[in-house]
Amino acid sequence: MTAGLGVFLMASGALFAVGAFAVMARRSAVMLLIGGQFMFAAGAIAFVAFGRFGRGATEVNAGPSMALFVVLTAVAQLTLGAAMVVILYRENQTLFPDSDGE
Amino acid sequence: MPLIGALPQPIASAPAITSAPLVLFIYLVLILLLVTALTSAVVRNTVWAIGSFASSMALLALLFLTIAPFLLFAVQLVIYTTISGGLLLGVLRQTTGLERPPSIPFNRTWIAGGAIAAAVGSLLLLVVAATNWPVDLLQRGVLSLPHPFVQTLLDTYAVGLATLVVLMGSAALGTVLLLAMPWTARKGRELPAVGRGPRRSPS
Repeated sequence: MTAGLGVFLMASGALFAVGAFAVMARRSAVMLLIGGQFMFAAGAIAFVAFGRFGRGATEVNAGPSMALFVVLTAVAQLTLGAAMVVILYRENQTLFPDSDGE
Repeated sequence: MPLIGALPQPIASAPAITSAPLVLFIYLVLILLLVTALTSAVVRNTVWAIGSFASSMALLALLFLTIAPFLLFAVQLVIYTTISGGLLLGVLRQTTGLERPPSIPFNRTWIAGGAIAAAVGSLLLLVVAATNWPVDLLQRGVLSLPHPFVQTLLDTYAVGLATLVVLMGSAALGTVLLLAMPWTARKGRELPAVGRGPRRSPS
């Protein structure tokens, strides 16, 4: 029993699909944020896996470095997104961005 | 000597992980990660969704501990999981409001959460007891500073790091400006619908 690159890539793809489902199917702004975070996390897993197993990476730490950038960018996106959700709620008294508050 | 303009050659492929406890742990973490992510995407209760989301991010940190440098695990666990969970709960408090927990502290929810946490914790203890895996990683990560990963970040990706600092600073500034912005409620919401419009004389 081994754990190679394929296992991590499959998990990454599945996590991306879950995130895309949350973004497309759920209407709440909080769920949009969470779905976006899952897609970021899927990218980070793929970067780390490619770095760990060395397929195409030019150095060992290239993948984790990119994953670190992805994680911190996701934090920035989440911070701004949370502020926008609060503004949305103040304006419309709802967490659903595609409704006009009625 | 490399030719000018030649592409850097990729490093040799590393073999797959074959250590049985580590492989089992990786599979378990991956399965739990997908289950908690799916729960978070499907469940209707927003608090449960945020809890599942924070759990999946903590599991992702555990996954990083197995195949990535220690710094990435620390960033994922300390910064990302804490900030994301805290931010989302803060959003809920600012918007729809979080209800206080019921006065009985040990209701079903707490018991289920405690059982899941105990199961995951005991599994981790089992892996620690059966193998020397995280101790060895901790020693390499903490005691051998400067870590090669940090050196790579500082040497090769200095511009990327600087860009990231600017990005995070501007995101923080934007967040503060957004939250400090004076806001006005929509006109239809300021007054009750009954009192608006020209007054009619009673007939």
